[in-house]
Amino acid sequence: MRRLKPDCAVIGSGPAGLAAALAAWDAGLKKVVLIERDLELGGILPQCIHDGFGSIVFKETLTGPEYAQRFIDRLAGTGVEVLLDTMVLDLGADRKISAVSAAHGVVEIEPKSVVLAMGCRERTRHNVLIPGFRPAGVITAGLAQRWINIEGLMPGRRVVVLGSGDIGMIMARRFCLEGAEVEGVYELMDHPGGLTRNRVQCLDNFDIPLHLSHTVTFIHGRKRVMGVSVAAVDEAMKPVAQTERFIPCDTLMLSVGLIPENELSRKAGVELDEITGGPVVDDTMHTSVPGIFACGNVVNVYDLVDYVTQTAETAGRGAAAWVQAGGPEPQPRIRVLPGRNVSYVVPQYVTSLEREVNFYFRVEHPEKAVIARVSAGEEVLARKKAKMVRPPEMVRARAKPREFAAGAEVSEIIVDVVGADTAIEGAGDE
Amino acid sequence: MAVKWDIGQPCTWYDVQTELPAAAEVVVIGGGVIGSAIARELTKYTPDVVILEKENDVADGTSKANNAMVHSGMGEEFGTLKQRLNVKGNAMYDDFVRGLNVEFWRNGMLVLFAPRSLGAEITANMTPEQVHEALAVNIPGLLLQDGVKKGIPGQRLVEREELFQLEPYVNPDTFVAVLDPTYGIVNPYKLTIALAENAVMNGARVVLNTLVTDVLVEKGSVSAVVTNRGTVKARYVVNAAGLFADEVARMVGDDSFKIHPRKGATLLFDKDLVGGLVRHSIAMARIPPDPHTKGGGAFPTVDGNIQFGATATEVDDKYDTSITAEEIERMLDRYPYMVPGFPTSAVISAFTGVRAPTGEEDFVIGPVEGAAGFVNAAGMQSPALASSPAIAEMVVEILHEMGVSSERREGWSGERPVCPIFSRMSSKDRESLIKGDERWGHVVCRCETVTEAEVANAIHGIIPATTMDAIKRRTRVGMGRCQGGFCGPRVAAILARELSIPVTAVTKDGEGSELFCCDTKVLLTEMV
Ligand SMILES: Cc1cc2nc3c(=O)[nH]c(=O)nc-3n(C[C@H](O)[C@H](O)[C@H](O)COP(=O)(O)OP(=O)(O)OC[C@H]3O[C@@H](n4cnc5c(N)ncnc54)[C@H](O)[C@@H]3O)c2cc1C
Ligand SMILES: Cc1cc2nc3c(=O)[nH]c(=O)nc-3n(C[C@H](O)[C@H](O)[C@H](O)COP(=O)(O)OP(=O)(O)OC[C@H]3O[C@@H](n4cnc5c(N)ncnc54)[C@H](O)[C@@H]3O)c2cc1C
Repeated sequence: MRRLKPDCAVIGSGPAGLAAALAAWDAGLKKVVLIERDLELGGILPQCIHDGFGSIVFKETLTGPEYAQRFIDRLAGTGVEVLLDTMVLDLGADRKISAVSAAHGVVEIEPKSVVLAMGCRERTRHNVLIPGFRPAGVITAGLAQRWINIEGLMPGRRVVVLGSGDIGMIMARRFCLEGAEVEGVYELMDHPGGLTRNRVQCLDNFDIPLHLSHTVTFIHGRKRVMGVSVAAVDEAMKPVAQTERFIPCDTLMLSVGLIPENELSRKAGVELDEITGGPVVDDTMHTSVPGIFACGNVVNVYDLVDYVTQTAETAGRGAAAWVQAGGPEPQPRIRVLPGRNVSYVVPQYVTSLEREVNFYFRVEHPEKAVIARVSAGEEVLARKKAKMVRPPEMVRARAKPREFAAGAEVSEIIVDVVGADTAIEGAGDE
Repeated sequence: MAVKWDIGQPCTWYDVQTELPAAAEVVVIGGGVIGSAIARELTKYTPDVVILEKENDVADGTSKANNAMVHSGMGEEFGTLKQRLNVKGNAMYDDFVRGLNVEFWRNGMLVLFAPRSLGAEITANMTPEQVHEALAVNIPGLLLQDGVKKGIPGQRLVEREELFQLEPYVNPDTFVAVLDPTYGIVNPYKLTIALAENAVMNGARVVLNTLVTDVLVEKGSVSAVVTNRGTVKARYVVNAAGLFADEVARMVGDDSFKIHPRKGATLLFDKDLVGGLVRHSIAMARIPPDPHTKGGGAFPTVDGNIQFGATATEVDDKYDTSITAEEIERMLDRYPYMVPGFPTSAVISAFTGVRAPTGEEDFVIGPVEGAAGFVNAAGMQSPALASSPAIAEMVVEILHEMGVSSERREGWSGERPVCPIFSRMSSKDRESLIKGDERWGHVVCRCETVTEAEVANAIHGIIPATTMDAIKRRTRVGMGRCQGGFCGPRVAAILARELSIPVTAVTKDGEGSELFCCDTKVLLTEMV
């Protein structure tokens, strides 16, 4: 049995946990513990051997392991205590953590603050209810990535991909590079689910066809996948029977979305947002439970690791400030609401406009030549021009610290997207 | 009856003889719940019992994919064999599972009488008052009378106020409900494994991967069972072959019944999101019955999930365990009516089992003319799981009449210890186990909190788990919301290590279901 009483306990050591622990340490907390259930640090990054990480934070593109290593190296120079191979099983509203590990047995932690950084998990075939049999050979893209890149095992020779999320497209290319055949990528929506750059680099450059407005209607094979039926879908997303056809394959790889992993948050009674699937947070990444902060993909599935790192630094600093202030009572908060063509915004609350605040949001539908705005009544806090916005690509708008703190009382902040010509005068473009 | 888990008892690793024996007094064909229950009951009288099972594990047929309910007999036609054995079997259940360490409890069944209980074709000519009268008084009354006739204890009417106290989330338009407190839920595959293991502990053998291809009859009596792996001499043969029981019966010339497969699909929901939404099993009366969802409803499982099921679809193929888009749609249309507001997006799994009814829709239990020593335990559709204790007793009584000793063996024990289950332990117990063996500190399944030690124990159990699915049935790894996304690589590695096989030989459920085609780079060398 081990008992710890740190100033801050960070759960999960992906890019979110790493940056949060570092930020909490840099902000002056003396005892910071980073808890990771895996045998190594880095979260999902060690298996992401493709490049494309770090263009905002480091202004260069790194592979996943390289990106993680920058933080791991920095961590070595701090006094942050790392508990690897340690699974957190329970978290209470009183912030008490119960974990187990082979090395330490049961670990009971009573931290002054907690940062949730558990990341997300993949949606499975059952979450999207694909009809058919339940044979071996139906796998999610992240799992395929782990099998191939970490374990050195090939899940199959001939692959059909359902869903055009980024990981799916990246793994379609990976299968090709490994000598497997990728018959095609089928996407329910009429637009790709991932970033345009991945579509070009992973599918187009490898001659992998992308079939939009299509879905898998049946999985064949009792023991191992023998093929799938696919069909085009109509406007109501229902398969059109006449278009159904059979494709022989031994593997169906799914890239049908990620779900923030919030079992622990739920146990602690943290309020979750129905749309994001993650905790409701304020601009310091404080959740509804005092002293519990959250960052990275546990809050919302960010497409870019750079955004994850930024939210994590905010969370780490936020936790430190809260502890250093002696755990103050919750302050009044300003609600942040999605406006025109915005499906959701993180953070959902802002405590102060005297600091810089990053608003991350997704649009509901693609739109060209727009301005994204953050406004409080008549006052525009941030605006940002974009040639194009699409649901798969998260938008970030940065509100600079308000110059005169004594500005008008703000009761509500609206984030919306408007056509470039309807935009009003306001704060300068980002 | 909630199970008390003995913690800290040593977990024995067994090295059980699984070779095909040359001879046995009784051969039981089929390692489902019925074959296993019969074998275990037999060991009270003779240890010389062998279960032959064609798959890689027991509980790999219909006994692994059903609604896990211990019915009371309410749903069966009065006077049928299955009705009688169901009422009897239900009453025997507490004793049946005692000592086996299997989850079973009587959560009770509530049958709702709600507006949709009467088909539109019936209500078309009725006034609202008549509908109310029928659904609040007359039809529930008939159901209760029927229960009394069948000898089902404790059934009673539940008025709205009490109903919503018992189950706040059921359809608020419900007129009344009938409560049947004897209904229970059990873990069907764990029960089957436990019965088979307890039989082994009492001297029986379980031989897996062994397909019975013929049963030999000499001078009017069975003499041997032929399998793909050799022949076993036998004096008595029990046919508990589930879906294939008609084919086995035909081996001794009995073509008196034919099994027509009828599949049933079930949706399973995340326990963290729906757990406790209903505590009783919830069904709804429906007149006329919907032939495609007979007896279905929203049922809790012993693990805290809730299932919607099952559909009923006649199929040609006994192996048709698929689920179709229509079945999914039907379930999502029908069952949320009973529990409005149910978060149907919380589905974590969908599975299908195939029932094994005969044309007469009743159990077929008894000897066969011209083949002395042969006993059928066939036509095992629902409620066979619920009736299994009574079925086993009846089959063994028939065997006694045929000549199997009816003298109780000394030293027989119905105790089947289980290895500790990490997720249910206190911190103190966890701590002491991890001290003794650090594999207790490696949580390999994050959703269900299963440790490496438990996986290893399953692989070295009395009936060894040799596939991913077999480990899943014993430990729950991969049964949670991520469905193996996290634990898959870890469990495959442990399985390969413990069985001394390459990971590429690891299967989901036996030969042909390998998880991998090869190591990486192999396909590249094939290309050149
Ligand atoms: C398969 C995949 C591929 C991706 N590819 C790209 C890409 O190409 N470019 C890009 O910019 N972004 C990519 N992303 C997104 C980016 O990597 C993620 O946004 C980022 O890794 C999320 O970081 P995180 O720290 O929130 O979560 P994670 O990296 O998932 O880390 C969470 C950590 O928490 C640990 N944990 C969880 N629960 C517990 C517990 N109970 N106890 C102890 N530890 C726990 C986990 O083991 C894990 O290490 C990808 C994401 C995935 C899933
Ligand atoms: C969807 C569904 C829901 C149900 N719900 C319930 C419920 O809630 N309550 C209830 O009481 N009942 C229920 N049932 C019914 C119940 O599951 C079955 O009646 C019961 O499991 C049958 O057990 P069994 O041992 O006869 O068959 P099985 O479990 O199928 O076992 C038969 C075994 O014999 C083996 N075998 C077959 N042929 C050979 C051969 N030639 N050689 C060697 N081995 C052979 C098979 O591989 C199989 O393992 C349900 C059934 C379904 C499909």
